[in-house]
Amino acid sequence: MRFFGKTSIDFMGKRYIWYAVSATVIAAGMLSLIVKGVNYGIDFLGGTEIVVRFQNNVDVGDIRTAMDKAGFTKAEIKTFGSDRDILIRTPEQGEGTVVGDRIRGGLQAQFPTNPFVVQKEDKIGPKIGAELRRDAIYAVLASLGAILLYLGFRFKFLWAAGAVTALFHDVLLTLGLVSIFDGLIPHLNLEFNQTMVAAFLTLVGLSNNDTVVIFDRIRENQKLFKSMDLVALINKSVNEVLSRTIITSGTVFVVLGVLLVFGGEVTRGFAFASLVGIVTGTYSSIYIASALVVEVVTRTKTQGKLID
Amino acid sequence: MKKYAGRLIIIAACIVVAVYYLLPTWRDYDLRKHLSSLTGDDSLQYVAKHETEIRDARARRIKLGLDLQGGMRVVLEVNVLKLIEDLAKNKDEVFNQIMKEVRAEARTSEESPVLLLRRKFEARQIRMSRYYRNLRDTNDDIFKFLDDESTKAIDRGMEIVRNRVDQYGVSEPSIQKLGGTRIIVELPGVNKETEVRQLLQGTALLEFKLLKEPEVTYRIAESIDKLLASTAKTDTTLADSLFAGTTATDTARGDSAKADTAKIATPEGELSQEEFARKHPFFSIAIYNEQFKGEFLVAEDNKDRVRRILDRDDVQKLIPNDMEFLWSAKTQTFGEKGQEKKFFRLYPVKKTAELTGGVIVNAKWQIDPNYNRPIVTMEMNNEGSREWARITGANINKRIAIVLDNSVFSAPNVISKITGGHSQIEGMESEAEAKLLEIVLKAGALPAPVDIIEQRSVGPSLGEDSIRAGIMSAGIAIGLTILFMAIYYHTGGAVADFALMFTVIFLLAVLAAFGGTLTMPGIAGIILTLAVAVDANVLIYERIREETAGGKTPRAAVDAGYSKAFTAIFDSNLTTLLTGVILYQFGTGPVQGFALTLMIGIVVSLFSAIIITRVVFDMMIDRSGIAVNFG
Repeated sequence: MRFFGKTSIDFMGKRYIWYAVSATVIAAGMLSLIVKGVNYGIDFLGGTEIVVRFQNNVDVGDIRTAMDKAGFTKAEIKTFGSDRDILIRTPEQGEGTVVGDRIRGGLQAQFPTNPFVVQKEDKIGPKIGAELRRDAIYAVLASLGAILLYLGFRFKFLWAAGAVTALFHDVLLTLGLVSIFDGLIPHLNLEFNQTMVAAFLTLVGLSNNDTVVIFDRIRENQKLFKSMDLVALINKSVNEVLSRTIITSGTVFVVLGVLLVFGGEVTRGFAFASLVGIVTGTYSSIYIASALVVEVVTRTKTQGKLID
Repeated sequence: MKKYAGRLIIIAACIVVAVYYLLPTWRDYDLRKHLSSLTGDDSLQYVAKHETEIRDARARRIKLGLDLQGGMRVVLEVNVLKLIEDLAKNKDEVFNQIMKEVRAEARTSEESPVLLLRRKFEARQIRMSRYYRNLRDTNDDIFKFLDDESTKAIDRGMEIVRNRVDQYGVSEPSIQKLGGTRIIVELPGVNKETEVRQLLQGTALLEFKLLKEPEVTYRIAESIDKLLASTAKTDTTLADSLFAGTTATDTARGDSAKADTAKIATPEGELSQEEFARKHPFFSIAIYNEQFKGEFLVAEDNKDRVRRILDRDDVQKLIPNDMEFLWSAKTQTFGEKGQEKKFFRLYPVKKTAELTGGVIVNAKWQIDPNYNRPIVTMEMNNEGSREWARITGANINKRIAIVLDNSVFSAPNVISKITGGHSQIEGMESEAEAKLLEIVLKAGALPAPVDIIEQRSVGPSLGEDSIRAGIMSAGIAIGLTILFMAIYYHTGGAVADFALMFTVIFLLAVLAAFGGTLTMPGIAGIILTLAVAVDANVLIYERIREETAGGKTPRAAVDAGYSKAFTAIFDSNLTTLLTGVILYQFGTGPVQGFALTLMIGIVVSLFSAIIITRVVFDMMIDRSGIAVNFG
């Protein structure tokens, strides 16, 4: 079975349209990041987070009232997977289990006939929160550094720069979409926690994976067709690996989609970010990584060899 | 056949090893399933019969993270600052100022508090020997001494925490040291938050302290009272706090001093409540207990106020150097029905302990037959017994406070000399609390206090939900992938599916072999790995298709497919592997679980996707001589 035969799509010819698409989505994301920001999780904020499951569905508004009465006016309240699972988070720090006890007490007072069980309770001290934040930043920088080093070693500078630009593009675009989609759809909590950082590193890995496969083919074709124009060469190479690209990305997409729908609340944010990442990662290999090389080469009239 | 023999042996060996490591996990599941179908005596008998087998399987199965099986994770930090402070002698203003600065810096700094302290001393050109050890010691000596002491405190702290957890009776607890001063305690299946905090956090420093003579206490309280009355007019916050306390005074007096509720009898005649509060700001909220002399009663909601008053600099000056105020651990309820109020007791004691918990050799909780309430009895070693006999003998008719972690549990009156080294602690609210106390007393006192800086707990039902969701999504994802590969690549796809199966088995086996922990993000990692594993086969097959279309023979096409796709496969997986390593380094708990499965997955999937499938194709082509169908 085959989805396509031999294709000869002029990918590079349509690059300006896709630049516009990328720019628009990233701009929208940035706007959302400025206006709405990202929703930091308890890992990075510190404080107390508690997830309770009620026997019957509850109204978030009633929980709000209960928390106001208990003195947590700044508490964040949302559903956690279903209408009877509620997540309550407050940045307040307290000695021992004081904060958790007050939250539980407040809920008991408000819902005397609707008993609940505590599903999950996290209490993060301010020092730990700061450390986890710092570690996350280190992790992202270290992996970008490692990839940059590796690419620089494997490909010529211009191409490595293209690949890294594509990675930044993917991270920015996904970050923006995470900010836009958070809370937009019921039960889709895209909170920025450690698992989300893992998702970003994964998408960086996957995106880079795809770029490397295309570059590898361009490198091979460069040796075979020495006099071919760069744009034609890239088009040819992308067409040749198109089938693989679609199948691999498609498989990852479906698998992550399954995780998003059936994987439960804990991995939902991870699945969402990776899902966006696999799409933009596939696309950016062509329209950011390769296209950037084309832009530089056509402007400077250099050759654009992948290797010497 | 010969030319595959080497590879086939390697593959077979891998499978045997994998099965060996996975058997305990399967066995554990099996035993548990069987056990849950039994009830009562049957299940007890079954456990007794298969005890070693059950324990063995449990120890070697794939461990589930706390997010999947439920439980608590607590990160403790040994308070080295407090230790340094306690070790110092002749503390003065300068020292306190230095400690304050070190404390502020330690909050953000990565460096050890001992080093920070040394730097502060050196910046001021003060010798550390002014406060530590001998005057002759150099800063280097003292630095080494403090450093050793803090390392010892952490190691000892860890040992004690382990003892306590072991005696508490949790199956498969994990206690690890993290960085310089932290201890991570993971308790699967435990959800009693308050109990765990008590178990881990209390330093369990037991002290026996003499109460100050009632006359002395009363005189000091009087002088505090006078001081407050004279400053109350200018100090609004204090005045505020005083009037808020008046109603409480009432009920307590009603019980302990048996005074009229409306009027209060004093040496100056009868005063109304307000007048009394104004004239005696201290006595109105810290009621001198006429029944048990030498202690005060403070209503629960006045505790903070009294604490603030006692902390005031001008009040501190009135309190002798060898005296301190300690609070009771528990409240007691006084007052008539409907008007009950909870009161803390405030004990003025001698600062220096007569005896400390180091002499305790055994502790046991039991129900006091006389009063039908839980108590903990303690036995002392020879030296302790001798001391205890001397102390009790010398202080007949005086009260000795039994202090645990700076809270007074009881302050009995010494009736006679106690020989034989027995003592007991009263005042526990429940059997569970008495049991915990027994554990912490037996395990010994922590050399330095510990702070809980992170605490996470997951209820069992959330864990079950996660496992169910994880298995379901993994199942659907694997099913869809297998189906797609077989349809799209035909025979080649079926072979890839076969390899995929081995990928999963190998992955789980490696996880079991290295004692790795499976977490929910870890399951996500497995799911993702499967998709990435397929990529290697897709790259190879697409290449083989291209080469076949180019007119190569089946054998040559397969050869070219594998060799030409290799660089792309290698390059692309290496970067993902790098990301995994970094994530493992910086992540914690569940996220490390993800990084772990991702890393293992990449390595084993390359093995199955490249080596296993290749052998199968080579054999197929050799046997039949016809092309393998790649769809």
